[in-house]
Amino acid sequence: MERTRRLVIAALTWPVAAALLAFCVAPLLVLFAYSFFRVDFVTIVPDPSLANYIRVASSPTYRGLILRAIESGLLVAAISAVIGYPVAFFIAKRGRNAKSALLTLLLIPLYTGDLVRIFAWRVVLGAQGVLNSFLLWTGLIREPVRALLFSPFATHVVLTYNYLPFMVMGLWLAFEALDDRLIEAAMDLGAGAVARFVRVVLPLTVPGLLAGGLMVFVLVVGDYLTPQLLGGSSGITVISAINDLFGTAFDWPLGSAIAWTLLGLLGLMGAAAAAAMVRSAAARAMTAGG
Amino acid sequence: MAPGDLPVPAEGAGGRPLLRAAGLSKTYGAVQAVRGVDFTLPAQGYVTLLGPSGCGKTTILRLIGGFERASSGLLELDGVSLLDVPANRRPINTVFQSYALFPHLSVEQNVAFGLTLRRRGRAQIAERVGRALAMVQMLPMRDRRPRQLSGGQQQRVALARAIVNEPRLLLLDEPLSALDQRLRKDMQVELKDLQRRLNMAFLHVTHDQEEAFALSDWIVVMRDGRIEQQGTPVAVYHQPASAYVADFIGGANLLAGQVVEVRDGRATLATALGIFEAGCAPTVALGRPASLCLRAEHVRPVAAGGIEARVAHVVFKGAEWLVAVETEDGSRLHMLLRHQPPAPPGAMLQVTFDPDAAWIVDGTIQAAA
Repeated sequence: MERTRRLVIAALTWPVAAALLAFCVAPLLVLFAYSFFRVDFVTIVPDPSLANYIRVASSPTYRGLILRAIESGLLVAAISAVIGYPVAFFIAKRGRNAKSALLTLLLIPLYTGDLVRIFAWRVVLGAQGVLNSFLLWTGLIREPVRALLFSPFATHVVLTYNYLPFMVMGLWLAFEALDDRLIEAAMDLGAGAVARFVRVVLPLTVPGLLAGGLMVFVLVVGDYLTPQLLGGSSGITVISAINDLFGTAFDWPLGSAIAWTLLGLLGLMGAAAAAAMVRSAAARAMTAGG
Repeated sequence: MAPGDLPVPAEGAGGRPLLRAAGLSKTYGAVQAVRGVDFTLPAQGYVTLLGPSGCGKTTILRLIGGFERASSGLLELDGVSLLDVPANRRPINTVFQSYALFPHLSVEQNVAFGLTLRRRGRAQIAERVGRALAMVQMLPMRDRRPRQLSGGQQQRVALARAIVNEPRLLLLDEPLSALDQRLRKDMQVELKDLQRRLNMAFLHVTHDQEEAFALSDWIVVMRDGRIEQQGTPVAVYHQPASAYVADFIGGANLLAGQVVEVRDGRATLATALGIFEAGCAPTVALGRPASLCLRAEHVRPVAAGGIEARVAHVVFKGAEWLVAVETEDGSRLHMLLRHQPPAPPGAMLQVTFDPDAAWIVDGTIQAAA
């Protein structure tokens, strides 16, 4: 009985694990190997050294690009959290019968393609766009604001728009698990709105915040199209640099080294977030530890 | 004692009661949860809101706590309206039915929650939290988290968390319903004891009449969003205001009949088992259906001269025997006997009751149910 069950479980899990290993881990390992090689004109020479990593670390350009990617990720995650908290609260606690409809609405932008969303935003933010036309009409501005499009502003607006649903989903789940009576109890004990949020809601929704935040962060760091199509001169990102190295520049080893540096940093941040989640008050409350 | 009287003289300036509700109502869409209730609470004493689920008793507690807004009516604490005061500004604390302890905080932090919000000094907080935890015998558990505690222990922490703030009024929402029978009995004694020691006002919501009797100085019986009767436990038990109260409190024998005479607080009732005269509730009126209310402990078998009845069944309850008998016309009477009944099920016997212990109430249980 027990043996059959274990066999069934193994039969169900191993193919998935094998597929993951073959299609996900293996290419990364290939890149990892490449990152120690070097290029001689048009051939990749397997001559292992740390030269590529040293180049990444010593180049202000690559360091700057990696840093900017991480900054963007953190910034968009933070903005998403600020917007996401009230939205998630509303859906979970005031949504009532409209809950599933609201969640569907939230996800609808994800059903359309990246390009569709990006071009829609071009229509909104362009010099002759919806926003500028409106501002001109109200008389608040006399000239169209050109900085709206093809700027870091445009990139971050659209990145936030794109990945907000992931933050809201994470927070929504946390709010669903949050007992309303705890909020009432805090009110009963004299807590105003701010104290209720800081002392009860925030600590108990930290797992959702971290899960949503990590997702937004990783997606923003890896986003390539949005900065490219909306960022203008700021559109060069670490991802586009990797793309160039693998493409026109034909320097796969350096591209791999940048990719792995980025992957390593993301891994570290993910691990830190996971550790924070495990040690968060809410998680401790669930497991009744220390 | 007539309904509306206070068990203890109201304290405060000008003899004002601590809390006053008048015409208090709450409507949710088409549902009228509370339909214009009037009552007052004294500054000290244990008052119970008693009624079946859905009678509006919890809604009243939530209105007083500030978690719901009244649809109409008046609610005053010390003569000042509470209606526009948010829950966090009311000097009232609640022990929630599910305790609602903060899972991310230790026992000590839970109890200190209210005091830290009031920015009391560290030393004062520690001292008061320690005292409150000692009062509910939870001092040794102060570093634990709620999930590491049993139901009874969580209950005590919830109690400490509320009383540590020294509220003017403590609200308890079915606080013992999640505990097992024995623990519930122990906690009843402790709650009553605590209220006496703190000399505070407790308002306790329950559907359990035994619990209400064990705790209360004053009971408010609710039905369908209205107050059916309020009075001391003894008055509510022995002089129920209606057939509904008589049936809900202790399941009295109720013999339906017609009122043939009412005079000086006494009435004469014609029932299938004969004509009886007894004290009556003020609502009893001539020509209306009414019921003779007989507590099971007041019915007893006699050798001769009683009402003919057949023993339907016998239940041994430990200290007593509960015997159900059926009269010729099909009326069923319960009697509570100290000794083994004189006849087995199926046998005939004669029963009688003490007319001084009988009481006549308006309505019948068929109409009330």
